[in-house]
Amino acid sequence: MFCIGQLHRGIKAADQILKKKPDHGDTIAMKALIINNQGHTEEAFAMAKLALQKSMKSHICWHVYGLLYRSNKNFEEALKAYKFALKLEPDSPQIQKDLAFLQMQIRDYPGYVQSRRAIIQNKTLFRQNWTALAVAQHLAGDLWEAERTLTTFEETLRSPPPKSDIEHAEAILYKNTIIAEMGETERALDHLNAAAKDSPDRGWVMEKKADYLLQLGRMKEAEDAYRALLDRNAEYRRYYEGLVAAMEIDKSDPQALKALYDEYAQKNPRGDAARRIPLDFLTGSDFREAADSYLQRMLSKGIPSLFANIKALYADSSKRDTVQDLVEGYRSGQGVVQMNGTAEKKPESTEEQQPNGVEEKAEKTEPFKPSVHFFLAQHYNYHLSRDLDKAMESIEEAIKSAPESVDYHMTKARIWKHHGDVQKAAATMEHARTLDTRDRYINTKAAKYQLRYNDNDGAIENMGLFTRKEAAGGPLGDLLDMQCQWFIYEDGMSYMRQGKLGLALKRFMSIFSTFETWQEDQYDFHSFSLRKGQIRAYVDMIRWEDHLREHPFFARAAIAAAEIYVMLYDRPELASPMTNGVNGDRNSAEQRKAQRKARKEAEKAAQAEAQKKDARKPAAVDQNGDPKKEDKDPKGDLLMKTSDPLEDAMKFINPLLEFSPKYPKAQQTAFEVFIRRDKDLLALRSLLASHAIDPSDPTTHYQSLRLRQKAIQKPPAVPEAALKVFESELSTLVSHDADLSKLNNDFLQAHHESAPHVQASLRVRCELLDPASKDTASQDLIRTLALEGSTLEDALRGLELLRGWKADEKYVDTYIAAAHERYPKATTFQEGQAK
Amino acid sequence: MDIRVLTPADIPHVQSTNITNLPENYFLKYYLYHALSWPQLSYVAVDVSRPKKSPYEPPRIVGYVLAKMEEEPINNIQHGHITSLSVMRTHRRLGLAEKLMRQSQRAMVETYGAHYVSLHVRMSNVAALRLYKDTLGFDVEKVEAKYYADGEDAYSMKMDLEFIKDQLEETYGVDEGDAVGEEGKKDGARKEGDKKGKKRKVKLGRGLGVGDLVEKNESKG
Ligand SMILES: CC(C)(COP(=O)(O)OP(=O)(O)OC[C@H]1O[C@@H](n2cnc3c(N)ncnc32)[C@H](O)[C@@H]1OP(=O)(O)O)[C@@H](O)C(=O)NCCC(=O)NCCS
Repeated sequence: MFCIGQLHRGIKAADQILKKKPDHGDTIAMKALIINNQGHTEEAFAMAKLALQKSMKSHICWHVYGLLYRSNKNFEEALKAYKFALKLEPDSPQIQKDLAFLQMQIRDYPGYVQSRRAIIQNKTLFRQNWTALAVAQHLAGDLWEAERTLTTFEETLRSPPPKSDIEHAEAILYKNTIIAEMGETERALDHLNAAAKDSPDRGWVMEKKADYLLQLGRMKEAEDAYRALLDRNAEYRRYYEGLVAAMEIDKSDPQALKALYDEYAQKNPRGDAARRIPLDFLTGSDFREAADSYLQRMLSKGIPSLFANIKALYADSSKRDTVQDLVEGYRSGQGVVQMNGTAEKKPESTEEQQPNGVEEKAEKTEPFKPSVHFFLAQHYNYHLSRDLDKAMESIEEAIKSAPESVDYHMTKARIWKHHGDVQKAAATMEHARTLDTRDRYINTKAAKYQLRYNDNDGAIENMGLFTRKEAAGGPLGDLLDMQCQWFIYEDGMSYMRQGKLGLALKRFMSIFSTFETWQEDQYDFHSFSLRKGQIRAYVDMIRWEDHLREHPFFARAAIAAAEIYVMLYDRPELASPMTNGVNGDRNSAEQRKAQRKARKEAEKAAQAEAQKKDARKPAAVDQNGDPKKEDKDPKGDLLMKTSDPLEDAMKFINPLLEFSPKYPKAQQTAFEVFIRRDKDLLALRSLLASHAIDPSDPTTHYQSLRLRQKAIQKPPAVPEAALKVFESELSTLVSHDADLSKLNNDFLQAHHESAPHVQASLRVRCELLDPASKDTASQDLIRTLALEGSTLEDALRGLELLRGWKADEKYVDTYIAAAHERYPKATTFQEGQAK
Repeated sequence: MDIRVLTPADIPHVQSTNITNLPENYFLKYYLYHALSWPQLSYVAVDVSRPKKSPYEPPRIVGYVLAKMEEEPINNIQHGHITSLSVMRTHRRLGLAEKLMRQSQRAMVETYGAHYVSLHVRMSNVAALRLYKDTLGFDVEKVEAKYYADGEDAYSMKMDLEFIKDQLEETYGVDEGDAVGEEGKKDGARKEGDKKGKKRKVKLGRGLGVGDLVEKNESKG
């Protein structure tokens, strides 16, 4: 990007030329480019069009036109403009490159291959142009051509380049990945041995060699190769797995496996993996013995992360019980081998005041006992072994021995959270924060707990203790700039809970834009990486970018945003500031229509207002000197006042379906949007997808019956043929003449012990089949609170359901009373529990 | 906890880990810049023990070291630099930071011929200082006054890596050879492009000559 001074000078220079030659298209175009860089998009486009009118045949004007489109992410138009420019000036390297990088950016591989060939015509000597062509061919799927391209260049080298030639070394390894991807493992291995012996990326070469040897069944050599890798890094499971496979150790022979890990434990006195992994496969008394020594070793060192390292074992309930038994034994003083003395020496640092520190008073005296209490507190707080009273007892015990321990208080806060007391949880975490104000981790936790308690102001204030003071927009501005996804998301969720839907949407939209930025970020690397020569890393990056939005950071925000749009559709009054609270009255269709119309007008007015503000003035710049657009809608009012919420929801639904199709919640959210848009075929498609993932999912059950009911009442208005397909597909879930009540009851019977399933069936009964059954459904819902496996989250969802179908107040009260009985410490059932 | 090299797909969670643990934060692109310039130098610690909850669940990053080579080394002595290091509080004291650092340091020597590695640390950061000084063997080079945005001073620290070179030669029985990019320099630089705007120098070892290449910028006509 330009810096500000250059921009001003640029404009001045252009104006001077234009004074003499007002019709000079190229100069007008250059000026347009500068103005665009200042953030004045529309004006820039107008100017570029003017330039083209003056000089239709100027490649510069067309090139600029393309650059403008590109910078505004209209890639299709940019592509056209570049191609036009190139027609006028076929050999311009700059236009060639811009076109090529754009093709890469939008994954137009055939186009990219073509452009790369054209570029090579002019610059045959540059290795990077050959590599670039190979990359194009490789990504286009033509592995054979890609290899040949790399070889062709290699053959032009008269003498072998020196070892220090990173670009050459990398090209060799890149070629090796291509050979391996062709499935020619043997040849890949030979190539590696012949060409990459002295590669500077020794680690990678060793890894590949081991993998190839194993694939080829050359076990003895593979064993040596994995052993060599473990000598470099004994903390990588993949290497152990490779070694076990190469040694053909019988996986059902735990003793043989154990012996191997013991060997590595011995070799690595400070290592963890070789000690921890056997706990995964050992069982019975072998497990007990190994767990005992592992636990005691860590406990006597006072390692606070021990539980984090152990809890995965709890998936096996007998292991969970064994661990509990062992550690309870340590508490009561049984079964403790004298290990304290033999534990590794601790540094003498313990006297010092420790910011960031985990060594607290506990360690000065004797770490074992408090560590045991700490472990048990975490153990009883964990969902697979939960007993919150015991957890609280244990943590209090631990705190007694180290009242200043951040870790202990942090765990105490988590226990409160699981009790459902978000207020005490936040207060306790805040206390933990004050015990080490220099550690950002604990600051982060405190802020997160504040958000869970809907204390948005307190949270941002705490976050502000670590954000850059000079950041534009204060702490929130810095967090947005620094792409702090967790905070933006949690802030949004908190606003959503409070019914502040505009602010919530605003946050989710920020996450959406951050992903756009992340996608755009790759652009510079299309050229950068070729110059740097690090091709394998570049290809990895491209492949990751290809499915960037499958990241849960994206999916969870997209789902929440779409849910808000659905709420806004169902209850347009939520968008007007008069009524607030999500639990207000539902309106008739008439009223909704009227409100939507009013909304449309308001939206127009707001947009006009916003445009006025957009009047020309030098835009603010961010720290890169890039123009920063002023936020005209900081509270998200404009977002919320949309006239077509479901259309807006599609902005989130489309990428969800494209990138997270196997995520049930994504399909279910899409269903809700589609069925409201009367896109029943698409709704069905989502339903089939979520059904394929889990046929007994409660929401899927509800949605199946809902769609069947709708199909009966109002079949989709689609051509005969489509309707037929729809019918036959839907019938695979619920047949045309099915007795929906009976289906629903069967579902209830089959899952009567699971709260979410019971809730779903009650919802079907009350919302779809028999609204008159509301009272009995409400009573049944109250009974779900007594189900053994039901959780606090289930209870909260049940309350929402009850309110959603506008149950009689007396049932709501009874529900809340029963919930309090079951979760006596929970505050989340009170209304307005927020600060 | 696995210790392994960082890949681009890890970056969102590395970025999260960073902003959770430290006040010095960066855009995703800056992480990409590290990963795509010196892919061997940055490492992550990953919790692999729990099964994935969804097919899209990314690796659970619990610690990372983000490292680079100095782009314009003084006297052309190749050396590495630690841009950032942190471990989640829930996973501290397991030895992860130490292991991440050691892996990165070896790669600096092995792949890029680094002679030493440098870093900055807050003078008040006792845990990190102990790790660097006592566990790893860094020395304080100097104090940089007001190095951090909030006005705190930094220790500029340095650790000689010649011993790693010796170890590698002993283990793999080969001459570790010259530092990357040193000889090329003598052949003079080749320039490409004359773009306006902010320029970031990019050094790149190649047999023919070290290109004093300029990072592409998208704004040119
Ligand atoms: C500094 C930090 C990275 C250490 O990570 P870690 O994985 O816990 O460190 P390790 O377990 O590898 O520790 C290795 C050695 O460092 C020293 N050390 C680490 N943490 C320490 C602490 N809190 N107090 C005293 N010494 C400590 C010890 O000598 C330790 O060896 P030992 O456990 O055998 O006694 C971690 O505390 C952290 O992320 N802090 C916040 C971010 C930060 O400050 N980063 C550094 C910026 S320059």
